[in-house]
Amino acid sequence: MEFARYDINKYSPRQMVALPLVLLLLAGILLGYTTLATGLPLKPGIDFVGGTAVTAFTSDSRETIEATFSGYPLLSVGEGIGGGKYIQFGPMDDARHQSLVALINEKYPDAKVDQIGETFGKTLQSQAFLALLFSFIGMSIVVLIAFRNLVASGAVVLAAISDITVAAAVMQIIGIPLTLGTTAALLMLIGYSVDSNILLTTRLLKRKGKLEEKLSGAFRTGIIMTTTTLSAVTVMWLVSTLGQIQIISEIGAVLIIGLLASLMSTWMLNAGILKEYIHRSGRK
Amino acid sequence: MKRETITEIVKDWRVAILLILVIGSLAGIYLTPPSLQKGLEGNLQFGLDLEGGSWLQMEFQSVIVAYSTDKPVGDLIDNLQKSLEADVIQIDQNHLEIRKSVSRADLEPLFAASGAKIVGYQEGVSSFTADEVKRILNDKVNALGMQDARINLLTPTGSEYPQYVRIELAGVDMETAQEIVGKQGMFEIRIQTTGNETEHVLFGDQITSVGVPQRDPARQTWGVGFAFTETGAQAFREAALKHGAVDNPQAHHLVMLLDNKTVYSAPLDGDLAAQLRSAPIRSLSATTGTGDAGLEDAMTLEIHLRAGALPVKVNVVGSGTVPAALGEQFKTTVAIAGLLALITVGVVVYYRYREPLIVIPMLAINLAEIIILLGIARFIQQLDLAAIAGLIAVIGTGIDQLVIITDEVLHEGRVPSQNLYMKRYGRALGIIAVSAATVFIAMLPLALMDLSTLRGFAIITMLGVLIGILVTRPAYGKIIMAILSK
Repeated sequence: MEFARYDINKYSPRQMVALPLVLLLLAGILLGYTTLATGLPLKPGIDFVGGTAVTAFTSDSRETIEATFSGYPLLSVGEGIGGGKYIQFGPMDDARHQSLVALINEKYPDAKVDQIGETFGKTLQSQAFLALLFSFIGMSIVVLIAFRNLVASGAVVLAAISDITVAAAVMQIIGIPLTLGTTAALLMLIGYSVDSNILLTTRLLKRKGKLEEKLSGAFRTGIIMTTTTLSAVTVMWLVSTLGQIQIISEIGAVLIIGLLASLMSTWMLNAGILKEYIHRSGRK
Repeated sequence: MKRETITEIVKDWRVAILLILVIGSLAGIYLTPPSLQKGLEGNLQFGLDLEGGSWLQMEFQSVIVAYSTDKPVGDLIDNLQKSLEADVIQIDQNHLEIRKSVSRADLEPLFAASGAKIVGYQEGVSSFTADEVKRILNDKVNALGMQDARINLLTPTGSEYPQYVRIELAGVDMETAQEIVGKQGMFEIRIQTTGNETEHVLFGDQITSVGVPQRDPARQTWGVGFAFTETGAQAFREAALKHGAVDNPQAHHLVMLLDNKTVYSAPLDGDLAAQLRSAPIRSLSATTGTGDAGLEDAMTLEIHLRAGALPVKVNVVGSGTVPAALGEQFKTTVAIAGLLALITVGVVVYYRYREPLIVIPMLAINLAEIIILLGIARFIQQLDLAAIAGLIAVIGTGIDQLVIITDEVLHEGRVPSQNLYMKRYGRALGIIAVSAATVFIAMLPLALMDLSTLRGFAIITMLGVLIGILVTRPAYGKIIMAILSK
């Protein structure tokens, strides 16, 4: 594993935090720009803007499907293995939807069909936003209580923010929409990200011993932690993507991106900040 | 490993609790009630997306308005009903339920015209109305002999009033589901002629509105008000005159039938008979009786009068259907995903520790955690696709924390003395406790939100974290200590 050869003691705190901060800034700009342009930081999926999603297993090609549904607001056709197709439509009025459902029933009687109305999507949007907000506040309070130290807790919270922001920016770039599933995954990232950060902070601040040793010890444990989670999540993503289980595939994809981002935010950003803090406060 | 070591491990209370929970969970899944014919699934409850079926989410077309006024509220209600052509019901001292989707801006002038002011405005219905909707839907589903139906009222976070109702019907396709929800019974009013003979008066389509049960202040009897169309009122009067009900009410009961079954039968009221003599009456009330029994009968009668129609209009805002075959396929897929995830995690930790004595307990604990989680979930949470994603995520985090314990204890590769071991073990549990608390807090909003279809995901994740911190991590600490100290 390449990353495991990263020598965490080789770089100065300034070098360590530079890359994550620049990426955080770029990610922030991207999301900010998208928010200004569209009103939302990410491209929303049908959960949030309304529309219809169809999962079908068929030997029909993408072109055939596009032709079949040309009279409807078709957004995309995704393909899995074994003829699995994931077809998305934009919002439409009730009459159109009824006729679409009739057409689907005729062409693909064994399809899974889900539909969300436009205004209901808006309601879901605001509810998801509330969830994200409350999660973040709750997480910050727990971390603050756990460390009773502003710098240490601040670094953990910053690392979590950076995780979510970078993960969201990558989602936007590679085209994973914001849905209920991906929102849940982003929330889950808060938990995952805090996991390894707490390990790092506890080892560095609460244990006695040489800083270099504590740091590389924490790094060894942290890497194995993240790789185990990563491997479980990757398997989940792979199998569900191949099997056309959209919601698990989305959750999995965001968790993978987020876990990779958290390697950076923990072992470069947070570790850098703590190193500098320990140097300054004269601790050994 | 020696036999004494194993007995020693099992005797520890942490390990004992773990074993008892695993056995209890397996018993819960497979033995209570026995479910061997269902194979591996046992008594686990699955969500619609794995079971096959349809769901409909409907929004109440209704608003709740808090108001203040110095004038009689009866006038306000009358005015609102006339200008909005909708039912308006007072739900408590200063709240009205307006059964129509109407904006606050449109309501302001109407309230002002009646000398009242709007103090608060929210979309939704009172819990009373919501429960009635639920009851009606339940009746319909039960009447069709459907067992696997879930009907839930949903209140958006930040609101006090239910705004949606979600109905899930296992094993039913979309068309049937919509039919069940939209289906209305045939309601008919007949009048007794001679003996047991009755004659048709009108059908349910001549009833324009049905009220809620109300108590007559003078007579203390409960009753339900309803109104006829003009033609309906005319037909009613003619029938009453023609068959002599006006002259001798006691001999000419009015009979109400729903789908040809008698649901109400009573004579014309004396006052009403007198009024009918001179002109048709459009608003009447059917009385049921006094006390709680009277109220209950009135509530049932109200539902019958509506003939299965909901008291509030609803709009379908979301719907979905999964064919049973596809659900079955998803089930297989997620089972494979879970199993592969467990195996992969095993390979990764083996690569790291290269020591079966560490890796095997780790995986065993992880598996035990999943079993206990499923054992509890069997009673409180149906497993939908999102919940399964949570389950797999728990496999990942679970191993994470076992790694923390192992590394903390094995610090610098040496196996520590008993004292030092307990100290390190305590520190590892500290790290885990904090991270468990954050995951728990981060997932809490999702678990509490009525509207999120991701409740399952959040609840499974939180449950996994709790079982981990309370049961499986402490047990693992004990096991690994016993193994390492040999």
